[in-house]
Amino acid sequence: MSVDAISLAVFQNLFAGVAEAMGATLQRASFSPNIRERLDFSCAVFDRAGQMVAQAAHIPVHLGSMPASVAHALAAFPQMNRGDVVVLNDPYSGGTHLPDITMVSPVFDADGIAFYLASRAHHADVGGMSPGSLPLSTELYQEGLILPPVLLRLSGWLNEGVFTLILANSRHPEERRGDLEAQLAAHRVGEERLTDILIAHGTARAQAHAAALIDYSARLTRATIAALPDGDYAFEDALEGDGQREALIPIRAVVRVRGDAMQVDFTGSAPQVRGSVNAVPAIVQSAVWYCVRLLAEEPIPMNSGCFQPIEVITQAGSVLDPYFPAAVAVGNTETSQRVVDVVLGALAQALPDRIPAASQGTMNNVTVGGANFVYYETIAGGHGASPLGDGLSGRQSHMTNTQNTPVEALEMAYPLRVWRYHLRAGSGGDGLHRGGEGIVREVEFLTEAVVTVNSERRQLAPYGLRGGQPGQVGVNRWVRRRTISALAAKATFRARAGQRLVIETPGGGGWGA
Amino acid sequence: MRVGVDIGGTFTDLITLDAGRLRLHKLPSTPDNPAKAMLDGLAHLAGGLERVTQVAHGSTVATNAILERKGARTAFITTEGFRDLLWIGRQNRPDLYALYPQITPPLIARADSFEVSERLDHEGNVLLPLTGQALGRLAAQVVMGAYESIAVCLLYSFRNPTHEKRLREALVATGAYTPSQIVLSHEVLPEFREYERASTTAMEAYVRPKMSRYIGVLRQKLPPRATLHVMKSDGGLLSAEAVQQRAAHTALSGPAAGVIGALHLARLAGFERIMTLDIGGTSTDAALCVGDVPLATHQQIDGLPLRLRMLDIETIGAGGGSLARVDAGGSLRVGPQSAGAHPGPVAYGRGGTTPTVTDANVVLGRIDPASFLGGRMALDVAAAERALAALGAQIGRDAAAMAQGVIDVVNAHISRALRRVSIERGHDPREFTLVAFGGAGPLHACEVAAELGIPLVLVPPHPGVMCALGLLIADLRVDISQPVMELATTDAIARLRGQQAVLMKQGRLALLQEGVAEAEMRFEVSLDMRYHGQAHELNVPLAGAIVRSFHRLHEQAYGYALPERPVEIVTMRLRAVGALPVPTFAPQPAAPHTPEMPVIDGVRRYARAELRPGARLVGPAVITQEDATTYLPVGWEGVVDGYHNLQLGRAPFHH
Repeated sequence: MSVDAISLAVFQNLFAGVAEAMGATLQRASFSPNIRERLDFSCAVFDRAGQMVAQAAHIPVHLGSMPASVAHALAAFPQMNRGDVVVLNDPYSGGTHLPDITMVSPVFDADGIAFYLASRAHHADVGGMSPGSLPLSTELYQEGLILPPVLLRLSGWLNEGVFTLILANSRHPEERRGDLEAQLAAHRVGEERLTDILIAHGTARAQAHAAALIDYSARLTRATIAALPDGDYAFEDALEGDGQREALIPIRAVVRVRGDAMQVDFTGSAPQVRGSVNAVPAIVQSAVWYCVRLLAEEPIPMNSGCFQPIEVITQAGSVLDPYFPAAVAVGNTETSQRVVDVVLGALAQALPDRIPAASQGTMNNVTVGGANFVYYETIAGGHGASPLGDGLSGRQSHMTNTQNTPVEALEMAYPLRVWRYHLRAGSGGDGLHRGGEGIVREVEFLTEAVVTVNSERRQLAPYGLRGGQPGQVGVNRWVRRRTISALAAKATFRARAGQRLVIETPGGGGWGA
Repeated sequence: MRVGVDIGGTFTDLITLDAGRLRLHKLPSTPDNPAKAMLDGLAHLAGGLERVTQVAHGSTVATNAILERKGARTAFITTEGFRDLLWIGRQNRPDLYALYPQITPPLIARADSFEVSERLDHEGNVLLPLTGQALGRLAAQVVMGAYESIAVCLLYSFRNPTHEKRLREALVATGAYTPSQIVLSHEVLPEFREYERASTTAMEAYVRPKMSRYIGVLRQKLPPRATLHVMKSDGGLLSAEAVQQRAAHTALSGPAAGVIGALHLARLAGFERIMTLDIGGTSTDAALCVGDVPLATHQQIDGLPLRLRMLDIETIGAGGGSLARVDAGGSLRVGPQSAGAHPGPVAYGRGGTTPTVTDANVVLGRIDPASFLGGRMALDVAAAERALAALGAQIGRDAAAMAQGVIDVVNAHISRALRRVSIERGHDPREFTLVAFGGAGPLHACEVAAELGIPLVLVPPHPGVMCALGLLIADLRVDISQPVMELATTDAIARLRGQQAVLMKQGRLALLQEGVAEAEMRFEVSLDMRYHGQAHELNVPLAGAIVRSFHRLHEQAYGYALPERPVEIVTMRLRAVGALPVPTFAPQPAAPHTPEMPVIDGVRRYARAELRPGARLVGPAVITQEDATTYLPVGWEGVVDGYHNLQLGRAPFHH
């Protein structure tokens, strides 16, 4: 089967088009603001062996964790039928945290399974101890409905039992129904598109090019690593408590660059904790791959080839590789950001003139639940300054890129009112180039609601580099009629109508003196 | 005499219609004073400006003001607490994997952004009143800034515009501003989503003064009795006077006129369902029309949202000037970098050394060096060959094979854009005709059509000046929208049916002001609808069983419908159309014949100007004309129809 520079480029377009079409369908047909406005989803094409071929990602944290989902789906259902769709969210079976529901489906040609498709979307509520399913939990069972790989569609027929079970476990079943339908629609569209490609070009040719694309990305990734000076680069940072205790939780990494291969060793990071900041290895891998991808001189198509030259070592039983059923709800959002800070901090020693200072290092997750509603948002912050210039202000950084829900959409849909949403003056770290500014957001609860905040960088500031000052740490406040109380980085409380939550997100670190 | 004038970056195209006869004229643009080329051309073509009675104009003044950041010094005013609305945007960064992420800076600086204490709730009720004291303080600050233009976007002004209106009154009362210098968001875009509304309002304020001056200059130079109309991004014309208050509506008008022209010609030839393919030097525009031009509101310009009704066009950064190279991983990449006008393709001999798509077409003999741009520009074929041979050497290909590879890759990009406008919106490309125009559209159309299974390609008589032709053909259009935000109950729909009379009255008035006679008016009322809870709306005509139509459209677009789920009406829209006299083209009798033609290197060479209706063409062939080249691949055939279009399809081709 002949593959050359030209056909490679053509097939890259074809496979990327499939993932993109799935994403377009999912966004347009979905219901929850979290998917339709914030774009908290990703779609991908996999080969028959479960290797990722192409991805339309909006969220870097999905990057490396999608292959784990497909691997577990295939292990559970090695003989899928035409029209089957496997659904899962179990972090210990290919998931990341429970709100991320992943679907995997086969694409057939006349001879059998030729490819697989996968989609992942963050669903605003999958049950558990607090609305929004990102609780201050101490074991997985408290975080919501656990879905090991199970069939949601069998030979084209919806498995009503599983579907109903998922809806019954959500605080907002109607929204779940719409979002799950949208996800299924994305798979239908992806299947049609990929089938067209198989008919037009032949399965063998498509598969040969899928393999070649994976090799291609591996080559580009190797070239990226080869451009780094060989050496061992170590860095350490910490998480500020697990929601149960405020003690620091160190994350340590040694980045070993040898020629065109890299090993990132997290040995020495803290043991797993009681609270929900544990992250499964797929998340850690995503964060490492993201960091290497940043260094590429030109865009690398995201597929399994990007992962080949990089070995990620985590110790079983650590906060980055916990034993079931450790709580993991915010490992996906907060711990992933810290892993990036640690890996980039290490790489800054290899590339002192290229690596930017630390960005806000948190996603500032806020979930609010009351009678008949569940709302989830993440708040942007300051970006680290770079050798090129100041950091961006008030934008999502690193492992997330979700959009905000417009105030006018939010207030129409939920009993919430936003009073302030502006940049936080002076929060960026000083330096030759200034860190970007964080955001101030003030939200009033119009009815009684359970509020959960999961944030970081409330004590340990985002670092500056090359003499740049750190950014300001973030602040969380609960405003009641007579009192204003400072909240911990991770907190949950029952708000009365008229009370407010004020979040000031961290600024980015400065670069250069 | 009616004239269509399209001012592009490189060329200004004019088309006149005089006593049923079309004449074309292409002359270099004069970017420093865009009106100059237009007036020169008019004087030349018409045999004197005095003979001009109607000018329909496609302007890039607004577009360029935004792209080059040369608009007015503008202030932004919003609700207290939201000063940085334009800066925070939707919170996301444009590129997921940038080591140093960048955003397009908003049009208005943070220092020029102001807050005013006031607040409405989502139903338009006043939570915090706008006090005279707050107004006074704000007015003093704004007057001190000596701005040319002011954009005002208060939360929920689309629900209750009182505060925005009072703000304008207060600023006008200072004596420093006229009402038209103050742009209110509820007038520009009475729809929810504050950032998008603010961005659109800011754009209007930013470009309005410049547009106004430009129109003023043109008006002075044109004969007083000549009408002047300007194309909007939705493909409709509006009088120059009215456009001065709707300047942002012209910002994405560039590709619109071409689609209007293409649809008109396709309909004459009997095709209602078309996809358009407009390939230029740096970009390609694709659109899909089912009987009418498609409209959308989710567009951007330079990364900034502009939420006005405009043609739903998919633009990609691939065109004749796209650069080809082999990357470090061993894959061919074509674009998005472009050779631009300078240095341009290698074959232009202006110092370009990296091969482009145009060079690939030259090497393959698909662009005839002798007749390129009517022979006015010499092409260096040998240089193009050397550049492609050098590239090919990296992957073991000769120049010709490399050139074909470059074409294959750019065609893959173009096919993907066409899939987005068809398959992703629930349409099967095999049921459509591909209308190709722009300088390079007809070069790639047949191969792309083959890839998508499109049975027929239509190349209009003058593919290089479709925009100017579209201007000659376009109707006057006024769009009026009204926020609804209600469930689609029988009562609500009945009420909206009652209200459409009010909307139509407004539309009628606007058309009367445009000088349209009653008999030439047409009104279309539609609703933007979605399932309660969705973010994206589908546009449904206000006729028949509306909710059922919505379910059907949803099923078509997304593959499923939820009949039990409540449906919401977001916006009611009126499109008031005033038909302008349209040039009539009478078909000529087409007598089948096979013209004689030279064959060079196995490829037939047709001169388009010599082809008569009924001529049968056989691929491989190249059909050259001054403004474009058409490539007919092996296994393709074609015929010249009675309107001088080329109709091309796979052999055996039955016209």
